[in-house]
Amino acid sequence: MSVSRRQFLKAMGGAGLLYAVRFAPGSEPQDKTYDVFPMDIDDDECVAAILDIDYSEWIVLGPDGKVSIFTGRTELGQGLKTVLAAVVTQGLEIPQGKLTIVQGDTELCPDDGPTTGSSATKYVGWGYWIACEKIRADLISRASRSLGIPVSELHYRNGGVGRKGTRNVLKGAFELGSGQVVKLSVDPRASSSNDKTYVDLGIPNVNAKKIVTGKLKYVGDLYIPGVLYAGWLSQPYHPKQTVLKSTDLSAARAIPGVKMVEVIGGRVAVVAERYNDVLKSLDAVNAEWSVPQRSEILQLEEESRSRAELFEVKEQEGNVDAGLAVSDLVVSETYTTQYTTQAPMETDTAIARMEDGGKRATVWASSQHPHRAREIVSKFLGIPESSIQVIGMPLGGGFGGKTSNPVTMEAAGLARFVEAPVKLIYSRKDQFQLRGRFKAACVIDLTTGVSANGKMMARKIDIIHDMGFGTTNTYTIPHTLTNVYHADWPFKRAVSRGTSFVQTCFAVESHVDMVAAALGIDPLEFRRNNVRFQAFVSLLDVCAEMIGYYNSQQGPNSGVGMAIVNHGGSQLGAVAAEVKVNPSTGKVTVKKICGAFDIGTVINRNTATVGIRGAITWGIGYALYEEIILNGHRTETEDLMAYHIPRFSDIPPVEIAFLDNYQPGSPRGCGEMPVIPTIGAIANAVYRAIGVRFYSTPITPEKVKKALQGA
Amino acid sequence: MAKQSFTLNVNGKDHRVRVEPDEPLLWVLRDNLRLTGSKFGCGVGICGACSVLIDGVARRSCCIQVANVSQGQKIITIEGLGTLENLLPLQKAFVDYTAFCCGFCTPGMIITATALLARNPSPSREEIIQAMDHNLCRCGSYINIIEAIESFVKDQRGEKSE
Ligand code: FES
Ligand code: FES
Repeated sequence: MSVSRRQFLKAMGGAGLLYAVRFAPGSEPQDKTYDVFPMDIDDDECVAAILDIDYSEWIVLGPDGKVSIFTGRTELGQGLKTVLAAVVTQGLEIPQGKLTIVQGDTELCPDDGPTTGSSATKYVGWGYWIACEKIRADLISRASRSLGIPVSELHYRNGGVGRKGTRNVLKGAFELGSGQVVKLSVDPRASSSNDKTYVDLGIPNVNAKKIVTGKLKYVGDLYIPGVLYAGWLSQPYHPKQTVLKSTDLSAARAIPGVKMVEVIGGRVAVVAERYNDVLKSLDAVNAEWSVPQRSEILQLEEESRSRAELFEVKEQEGNVDAGLAVSDLVVSETYTTQYTTQAPMETDTAIARMEDGGKRATVWASSQHPHRAREIVSKFLGIPESSIQVIGMPLGGGFGGKTSNPVTMEAAGLARFVEAPVKLIYSRKDQFQLRGRFKAACVIDLTTGVSANGKMMARKIDIIHDMGFGTTNTYTIPHTLTNVYHADWPFKRAVSRGTSFVQTCFAVESHVDMVAAALGIDPLEFRRNNVRFQAFVSLLDVCAEMIGYYNSQQGPNSGVGMAIVNHGGSQLGAVAAEVKVNPSTGKVTVKKICGAFDIGTVINRNTATVGIRGAITWGIGYALYEEIILNGHRTETEDLMAYHIPRFSDIPPVEIAFLDNYQPGSPRGCGEMPVIPTIGAIANAVYRAIGVRFYSTPITPEKVKKALQGA
Repeated sequence: MAKQSFTLNVNGKDHRVRVEPDEPLLWVLRDNLRLTGSKFGCGVGICGACSVLIDGVARRSCCIQVANVSQGQKIITIEGLGTLENLLPLQKAFVDYTAFCCGFCTPGMIITATALLARNPSPSREEIIQAMDHNLCRCGSYINIIEAIESFVKDQRGEKSE
């Protein structure tokens, strides 16, 4: 183990006054469970684990005005560290240099749940702001007791308590309770009573200088003495569908530098001195795999329907059949979506070292939930969690794919096997094949009934999905019914940025445009008439204005489309897209995206803006390019050439507006939500451009060409 | 394959390393010289995370065998640009424009932009996009990266940005 909590606090100069912050249970929104649904191990167990997470964070006020905070959440690029630094330095009025933030170390930090992009800002950042308020109040009452001065005459300033109207600090925070532990219960949904405006400082990312000089250490950048590299042989078929029949490992073992080539858990693993030795050795493995029986994956829609089992009924209001019966016009459609994957730039990586004759282990991880990694490593090695330290390093992207972290357990297993520290780096191909955890493809049937004057009367949705899903509660409809069916697929599943709202929102928002078209009403007008919240009207109008919805003189094959989303009830957004379609190549070019968002308090405009732009980039990728292509049981897309993630030339100018009449209140994060409406907006823009509705994503040049030639 | 000795000129200094001749330069920089700013993102030349300058040209170090680096070629990695205390103006622009989220692609982005600006000190937006198009950023920080490069260009021309 490197450094224990006690040693660390000692190094900080004494225990200090420790505030253990517990975020109120139930303050997580519904969608959170989908955000973090870790797929690899055992789904039910994971959900149970999520439900009883103890949202503890620690704030320690040490001597000399030093403050340390401890959070189990890691740095994904969402700027959590930056947000925490902004919140705590302002909330406790201390200079940046006095603050230490310790993240993701299971030995030092409490388990505060998985790190997902938006939740980190949503709950942790604002939770700390409220916690700072409570700490100030607590310090004032402590000072009042110890100084015999009434609370009303004291105020908190610059890391201590002083008499109102003076600038002096009478008692520093440390002196007011050194060695004590105070438990605070904080509801991150609460609004702040601090009269200071919240914290939109536009401060730069605290890791910024390290990032631009190449000094920020990700897990792969660490060198543990004696460490060896490891790798797995990739498999020709999806892991759940194939078994290793026979192997010849002699050539692989003969490669210089190779320490071990073994079949472990039905897979071939190599451990060697250098990464290049691992690759050469894997190349030399002779392996024969069983060929899967059924080629079911090709008929996604048919297979899904034949496997579907009703899982859950949602959004049940009124009587949908009666509502449809009295509607003047009924439109029924089916939409489908593709499998996609997170594809972070940093592939899954971990370093593991066994210690104390195999009784203890230290694991360095690229993990969205280091405590969860500790749990699986413990189970796998059969040694108690208290003997394992997982150190979560900054991530080179996670996007929901690094919550359960099997790579940590594999590295630990290999380290034990070869009795040396092991660095396991997944190849890019592993990331697509071996890991093979895909965001679910869906089949979505929609039926909507409307009155002749353009009011939605009834809507029925059937979603066939292979995991949890989200609906988007955006319109006022008296009669609704949503049935969620599960169709079990042989893949490991995962979520990614935007959660499962992505699929539903694409279908719903495309469908809304088609209903408007059937009625002969402008889709923007139709939305304005039917949205559930007035805020949507403002968001739509702002977007329409930005994109030039009414006055644009679009040329041939060009069009503008819009879509809206209600993400978990707390983030509302509208996106407008302008596209141009090349009829001879079929290529859809996004010319411009405008987004208007109501996301509450913006803690840091810089990180919020880069986060929203990034999310819009994901929406473009999902709408036009990204697709795990399955050929029988093979994944054809196994590198970043075949799996097209958006690149510079795919990104149009993006304009963003924050709804400026927001109520001061808790911030709600924004790194995911804009993904969602971007997809529907693009699909609707394509419809306006060429008059063809695409019922499945991604809208590829092949599909467009085929549609135009068929027309 | 037997190990051999090679002399590499990296960030202005000669380094002697003993590795197999088919070792990718990326792993020699990382493992032997502990210059870990160049990242492994794909290993096959697609993502650009491993980009380094070789005689001023941005190259993908994951695809260059160490034996193919000629004597006297000058390699510059991200660590050979500015330091924490003394950022180069382009690095400063990346900071000012928050041109990253997770930062994993950033060293490769800065290296590629440096090579572009050396051969074309005043690139248009189209030229920036064209030169950078094979560097991937999954976080989607593209617009901020373009803004950072453009502001650097403006500053170099002596114009005030904003
Ligand atoms: S790691 Fe070299 S191009 Fe991706
Ligand atoms: S900033 Fe994360 S990949 Fe570019």
